[in-house]
Amino acid sequence: MLDVVILGQLATVVLGAGAPGASAAVTWARAAVPAVVPAQDSVERARAVHLLNRIAYGPRPGDVELVLRTGVDRFLELQLRPEDIPDSAAAAYLARLDVLRMSARELGRVYLEQQRARRARQRDSAMAPRRAPTPPTGMRRYLGEFQQAVVARAVLSERQLYEVMVDFWTNHFNVFLGKGIDRFLLPSYIEGIIRPRALGKFEDLLIATARSPAMLFYLDNAQSVAPGAEPPQLRRLRERRRMSPMRMERRARADSMLARLERRMPRGLNENYARELLELHTLGVDGGYSQDDIIDVARILTGWGIDRRDGGVEFAFREWAHDRDAKVVLGRTFRAGRGMDEGVELLRFLARHPSTMRFVSAKLCERFVSDRPPDGCIDAGAHAWARTGGDIREVVRAILTSPEFWAPEHRGAKVKTPLEFVASAVRAVGGAPDTTLALAQVVGRLGQPLYLEPAPTGYPEHEEDWVNAGALLQRFNVALAIAAGRAPGVALPAASPIAITTDYDRLVDQVNRVILQHGASAHTVTVMRLQAAEITSASLARTLLIGLALGSAEFQRQ
Amino acid sequence: MCDRSIDRRLFVKAGGLALVSLGIDPIFLTRAAYAGRRPRSGGRGKTLVCVFQRGAVDGLSMIVPHGESRYYEERPRIAVARPGRANGALDLDGHFGFHPALAPLHPLYRSGGLAVVHAVGSPDATRSHFDAQDYMETGTPGRKSTRDGWLNRHMAHARDHRDTPFRGVAIGPRMPRALRGAAPALAIDDLRAFGLRGRPGARDRLTAAFEEMYAGATTGLLATSSEEAFEAVRMLRAADPARRSPAHGAEYPASPFGRAMRQIASLIASDLGVEIAFADVGGWDTHVNQGAADGQLAARLNDLALTLAAFAQDLGEGMADVTVLTMSEFGRTIAENGNGGTDHGHGTAMLVLGGATRGGRVYGRWPTLEVAQRFEGRDLAVTTDFRDLFSEVLVKHLGGTDPSAVFPGYVADRRRWLGLL
Repeated sequence: MLDVVILGQLATVVLGAGAPGASAAVTWARAAVPAVVPAQDSVERARAVHLLNRIAYGPRPGDVELVLRTGVDRFLELQLRPEDIPDSAAAAYLARLDVLRMSARELGRVYLEQQRARRARQRDSAMAPRRAPTPPTGMRRYLGEFQQAVVARAVLSERQLYEVMVDFWTNHFNVFLGKGIDRFLLPSYIEGIIRPRALGKFEDLLIATARSPAMLFYLDNAQSVAPGAEPPQLRRLRERRRMSPMRMERRARADSMLARLERRMPRGLNENYARELLELHTLGVDGGYSQDDIIDVARILTGWGIDRRDGGVEFAFREWAHDRDAKVVLGRTFRAGRGMDEGVELLRFLARHPSTMRFVSAKLCERFVSDRPPDGCIDAGAHAWARTGGDIREVVRAILTSPEFWAPEHRGAKVKTPLEFVASAVRAVGGAPDTTLALAQVVGRLGQPLYLEPAPTGYPEHEEDWVNAGALLQRFNVALAIAAGRAPGVALPAASPIAITTDYDRLVDQVNRVILQHGASAHTVTVMRLQAAEITSASLARTLLIGLALGSAEFQRQ
Repeated sequence: MCDRSIDRRLFVKAGGLALVSLGIDPIFLTRAAYAGRRPRSGGRGKTLVCVFQRGAVDGLSMIVPHGESRYYEERPRIAVARPGRANGALDLDGHFGFHPALAPLHPLYRSGGLAVVHAVGSPDATRSHFDAQDYMETGTPGRKSTRDGWLNRHMAHARDHRDTPFRGVAIGPRMPRALRGAAPALAIDDLRAFGLRGRPGARDRLTAAFEEMYAGATTGLLATSSEEAFEAVRMLRAADPARRSPAHGAEYPASPFGRAMRQIASLIASDLGVEIAFADVGGWDTHVNQGAADGQLAARLNDLALTLAAFAQDLGEGMADVTVLTMSEFGRTIAENGNGGTDHGHGTAMLVLGGATRGGRVYGRWPTLEVAQRFEGRDLAVTTDFRDLFSEVLVKHLGGTDPSAVFPGYVADRRRWLGLL
């Protein structure tokens, strides 16, 4: 997979050539050279690095200088207005991904056709043992493209803060790509629901997700009906069956259809969406609601369902499924018999609830500031929320301009997720995703297959969830492969941002500056020098040093 | 801090690189340096191997209720024939029988090393694969937002165990939900490829370089996890379980599941301190042309049986300390459908095998297939909550003390246990 052929060369250089004793002697001599401490970075430079680590997927070569020229605070302001930032490189890349030009209906047709073909194949091969999985087909390619779009945007887009926010909401309102019809509903969910509202009003985003077929299916609200409610088709069918005389075969057909409909018919309340709406999307687990509140939220949302016809899946409010009695949520009465309006009123109420302001603001702070964010930035976000009626742009601005965001103790304090690691590594070496769909797969192999988190929590933000022995070894492999130009899916620039030189101290300094933004510890610098010293080829030494830097503890943090 | 890092660097340098370049194998040196740092014993030296049959296995054709005529009425095309008939079930107790493809496990059942639990499953009614697998792996039926898995919570709660990076191991590219959580666990796709890739010399060289770099410069989780990583690599290199051949003439099928279980047996036999191992086996979602004695389901069951039999044979007496538990998210409809298959159902069957198992019996209250006894009028009812079975295994085999903490929201009650261990 990530077979690093160049390591074979390294092995020859290190272990084969020269007298072993001499090599050891060189090692110790080098070890005695004191590390050159990089020039004291200016305060502004450190701020620029921090900003690029947190509101972007890490700096590319030259990015820090660009931010310094622009002005750190002004750069942040520009990033808060992504609609004004030209983004031609990302657009050019995305233009080749067919999936982004397909409607949910078109994608649904491909999906259903393939389902049918698969069933037919199974029927034909009744006795044959299970065959090996078929090679990537239309649907798999489209979904691969859609995953690739995430990495491509993270690496290439100039609207970095916007992409970070899209990633945040994608996880906050997670939908699992592996569940049934969400396989074809998810692309339009992300493109049509999440992305247009990522910096808009929270309330609009919440309502849009609530009525999206992808979410309605994922968290089963489409299955939730008032107890005892029955779809009119079923009633009609049953009546016809009772009233009209039928011949045997027609009667049998009607019976089996009736049985099928009855089996498929949703029965009673399904609380799944109601619970996650309160726990994960709005109030938070400690937001002060009870099981009774969950039940009444579910009752309010009965009827919010989906309508499937000729390949398309649309939102539909089904009057027959709606609970017509009054409900009470968090002490507030929702008057009876107002159909879909009850749900809209509920969602607006939840979006403006103080628990929601605090919970979502704290989650944003976990993303931008620290795994265990201090109160100051959470308060700043919640205040901005209250002041602006949940304008996400203003909430984010408040957090990113809070003293806590800039506090030295939070710099470099967060561990990167696999997506952040891969995107930042490719950016650090000035690389780009190549024309294959392989880079998204690299992120998947590091433990974050995109859109494939089954739990409604989405991918977590805490380091405990990402740092473990196996994952670190995998990151080392990816780091070495990217450095060696052998990582699947990565196109390196024609001219490396790190010039070859036989002066290894300078080589180490360059790697420290370009890849680690002068962030290498004295220990890391020493080890890099010791390692380089044993390699005669300057080009191999450069490869090794870049690999070590991308795999270093410093680079795992942001 | 500084002194420590220099000492360590000196050591790794001298012990690792320099000695390699002198042609001296440094493994015993590095191992010596780690000895004493971690407790080498603790816990009970027991292993639980969980096998997840993803896709919902048809419990009614895996463990056939051949004593019940309803079974044959509901499945005119795909029922497994009664024992004694051509391609018939292998009788277990006069009422139930193995699917004939499970023949490799029949001797184990008869000798008392394998128990069957029937009509087991989740108290939650969902028929969604994704939800039901999630509920079974998190151990919290009906609750979607549980982040960690029940096996991980067991490791987090039961601390009396030899501290080794191999305590919880999943074979596969990703950590299954059941093993995710705060306690460290390893997902290993292929034992031979674990660690840094490349030719052996370069690989060791680069591993040493990363180890040095992480040794003195890092604190917190990155530090402890990297130590575990390097230790795991070292332990694997020393024990080299990938090289081990199956013992006692055991032959595993060349299937993904066969390979996974072979690797698990090697890890256990190499005494790396595996307490929990996890493997997936797929292909059970038999909506179309399930087959009877032959066909799709039979082929999957045969792979399962050949692999589990090879595993037991391979470990031999070591099976006294090993329990294998199979599980599946739900069962399938009692009646066959119009495509010669079965649809998503409710209760299913699970197998428990290993030295401590009081096998040779089918456990669990049998609800029968009578319409009035069915779940929602169509599926096999669940009479044993999977958490009752899992708790019993955790407590009696692994010495777990707090099943209610491992299964939040569940009140452990020994009176509901089946007594199969």
